[in-house]
Amino acid sequence: MFGWKGTILRVNLTDGSIKKESLDLKDAYMYIGGRGLGVKILTDEVDPGIEPLSPENKLIFMTGPLTGTMAASPGRYEVVAKAPLTGTIGGANSGGHFGPELKFAGYDGIIFEGRAEKPVYLWINDDHVELRSAEHLWGKNTFETTDQLLKETAEDARVACIGPAGEKLVLFATVMNDKHRAAGRSGMGAVMGSKNLKAVVVRGTKSVDVADPEAFYKACVDARRKLKEHPVTGTGLPMYGTEILINILNQVGALPTRNWKDGGYFEYAEEISGEAVREKYLVRNKGCFGCSIGCGRVTRVPEGKYKSFGEGPEYEAGWALGASCGVRDLAAICKANFICNELGLDPITMGATIACTMEMYEKGIISKEEIGMEAPFGNADAIVELTRMTGLREGFGDKLAEGSYRLASSYGHPELSMSVKKQEMPAYDARGIQGMGLEYATSNRGGCHVRGYMTSPEILGIPVKLDPLVTKDKAKWLKTFQDLTAVVDSAGICLFTTFAIGLPEISAMLKAAIGWDYSDEEVMKIGERIWNLERMFNLGAGFTKADDTLPPRLLNEPLKTGAGKGKVVELDVMLKEYYEVRGWNEDGTPTDAKLEELGIR
Amino acid sequence: MKVKLFAYLRDYAGVREVEVSRCETVRQLLGELCGRFGERFEKELFDKENLSGRVIVLVNGRNILDLKGLDTELKEDDEVSLFPVVAGGR
Amino acid sequence: MASGKPDGQTVMNKVLLLSPEKCIGCRTCEIVCSFSKIRAFNPRISRVSVFSFEEMAISVPMMCMQCEEPYCMKVCPTFAITRTEEGVVAFDEKKCIGCKLCISACPLGNISFSHVEGKIAKCDLCGGEPKCAEFCPSGAIEFKEPVPSAIERKKAIAEKFKELFGEGNE
Repeated sequence: MFGWKGTILRVNLTDGSIKKESLDLKDAYMYIGGRGLGVKILTDEVDPGIEPLSPENKLIFMTGPLTGTMAASPGRYEVVAKAPLTGTIGGANSGGHFGPELKFAGYDGIIFEGRAEKPVYLWINDDHVELRSAEHLWGKNTFETTDQLLKETAEDARVACIGPAGEKLVLFATVMNDKHRAAGRSGMGAVMGSKNLKAVVVRGTKSVDVADPEAFYKACVDARRKLKEHPVTGTGLPMYGTEILINILNQVGALPTRNWKDGGYFEYAEEISGEAVREKYLVRNKGCFGCSIGCGRVTRVPEGKYKSFGEGPEYEAGWALGASCGVRDLAAICKANFICNELGLDPITMGATIACTMEMYEKGIISKEEIGMEAPFGNADAIVELTRMTGLREGFGDKLAEGSYRLASSYGHPELSMSVKKQEMPAYDARGIQGMGLEYATSNRGGCHVRGYMTSPEILGIPVKLDPLVTKDKAKWLKTFQDLTAVVDSAGICLFTTFAIGLPEISAMLKAAIGWDYSDEEVMKIGERIWNLERMFNLGAGFTKADDTLPPRLLNEPLKTGAGKGKVVELDVMLKEYYEVRGWNEDGTPTDAKLEELGIR
Repeated sequence: MKVKLFAYLRDYAGVREVEVSRCETVRQLLGELCGRFGERFEKELFDKENLSGRVIVLVNGRNILDLKGLDTELKEDDEVSLFPVVAGGR
Repeated sequence: MASGKPDGQTVMNKVLLLSPEKCIGCRTCEIVCSFSKIRAFNPRISRVSVFSFEEMAISVPMMCMQCEEPYCMKVCPTFAITRTEEGVVAFDEKKCIGCKLCISACPLGNISFSHVEGKIAKCDLCGGEPKCAEFCPSGAIEFKEPVPSAIERKKAIAEKFKELFGEGNE
């Protein structure tokens, strides 16, 4: 078998059975792996109407055919399940070394079913696979859990686990691997917790083969050269990490500030920028498996009350806990971000949910007594303490653990939740970047920026420059980006490669790896197929056109400052165009013809 | 007018912010800056006569590529920002 | 296979220089090394290994240092290991009986047994064009003419590893 390993583990947690199944090659050719194949399996095996935290949900870890090879940034895997935060198809992608190790052990993926009676973890040592008790690990954070598991299995193994947040079913809990890398969004950690599955530990000594080694080598050398030469992947990200985006988004007036109510300009952005991280706290750069970019940051706050050590913050986390909460104290942001990693929380939803709380506090909707502290915008102590309380569901943290939509709704103010399909939007004010608005509204897992990164053309001018303030052509571009991203997430490489390489390079690597002669168009078609299948899952779960929308603030409250002053998101015009471009009906459902064309029906 | 510099352009220029007076267009302004900050800075900004693909120039938050490029006119109270093309997101 | 340079020197005068302070721990070196040896991807047969010390946030790539006085060579009962004029501690598969004494003898732990190939695995500088250095994204592994200070540094690093791994070696 080339690219793929050809075996999928099926672990039934209810009865403890473990089966090794052959990879369905027909599905693999149609959905590649990773996100695509995970979604295909979930759709085949799970009724979209189920309750996400019930034993009926399945939790799928899936690598791609390029995972663990020398392809460009080949360290990725995807976790797929129905998402507890949104009720949509869920999925989250992560890097580090865990995904490749699963391949080296001989598996493309793992399907977890049911629910264990008591906490367990899965130990995979090549062919040997067993469920072990994790009762002694329950309650431990992700760092303690990882250290302990490496001690009791093998020190060269790799660990993906949940922290207390996942155990306590915080709706935006992450799956953390290699301590610092997160399958972050939509609550995959809560699904893992609901199954009483604390961790997956894997050690592998086998090889990943490719169909045409010489062609594959050539394609990888070409892709890596392009990554090295591109200013973003060759210089910007290696030098500053993702936090570098803070200043540019602020200067274009699209850095959402104080729960998006103060428009897109944060007056203290410089203090929380990538430049500041580099100057003050950077220890070293860090790369995921086989990655030539190395955007990871090892950081240390050397002293003071926020003294801490860890990785990040990434741009989204830095924004969510910073500008979005009006906080300018970089040390506090680092600390809160490290707590997110330790307890297993998505820092985007965490920060945005605290920001929502702060607005309700300032408006007098929530009192100091309820929260247990004063929580005005800008309170650095509050972001640290509320993050900790949320991960442990302690006090008011129990309410924060439900995310901003459920929190704000419980006080009668759902409009103050800056979320789409109940998942919080990330760090780009769509009033100043129109395409991002369409992206948020149509993303299959709710408010999200990594399933078609429109900031790339609209702000960075990659691969072409689009004017961020107009709606023209956004639907067309977004479709292309969404489809290509689905391919990237399924192949097992990092989305960041797409700043420098595109369809030709990615399909060259794919084709040589698996030995299947796809045309570039067919590869894009796979992306479109995945997108449509995800859409079908969501329609099956009860979502409609009415859910393809944005918080009223983005549709009705114009930006007050910056280049986009006076703008709201012109969603209606873009959405209509988008459905057309997608070949969907006016109500946002894929037509029968489209589904047949894609081989879904 | 005020010119703000970001990321490694700060190292190249040795400053984060400068005041420049009397520049009619972006081309003129960037020429003036290249004169001040030297060859390394100029090489980052220009490929011959053209703006290089390595920088982003904003005038009051608007990318000059969405305006009139190097011919974009400037007023005394404009704010210009210069970035290397960098990116990310989680 | 050492290709000649214009001045008549062979590239084998170069050595692998390690700068752990630049290492980002991505293990690209391991994956390309395995590919150059077996045309497949398997870090466990790689001739270079990256050790990460998390609390110090440091990672160190390690491979055969091509010792001036190789213990592995001295201990080999069948003279399968030799030191070439170009400074490579070379290993002759045909003479090897698989006794693995060399693995025990290496004070740096830089020789291993490849379960995939069924033979001793050690760095051979890829015949003069080491892939690890070619693909290292951060410059932590470089293949260079050693200036005296670099050799000193390399020795110092090797010494440190003797201390670090000396006792932990199986």
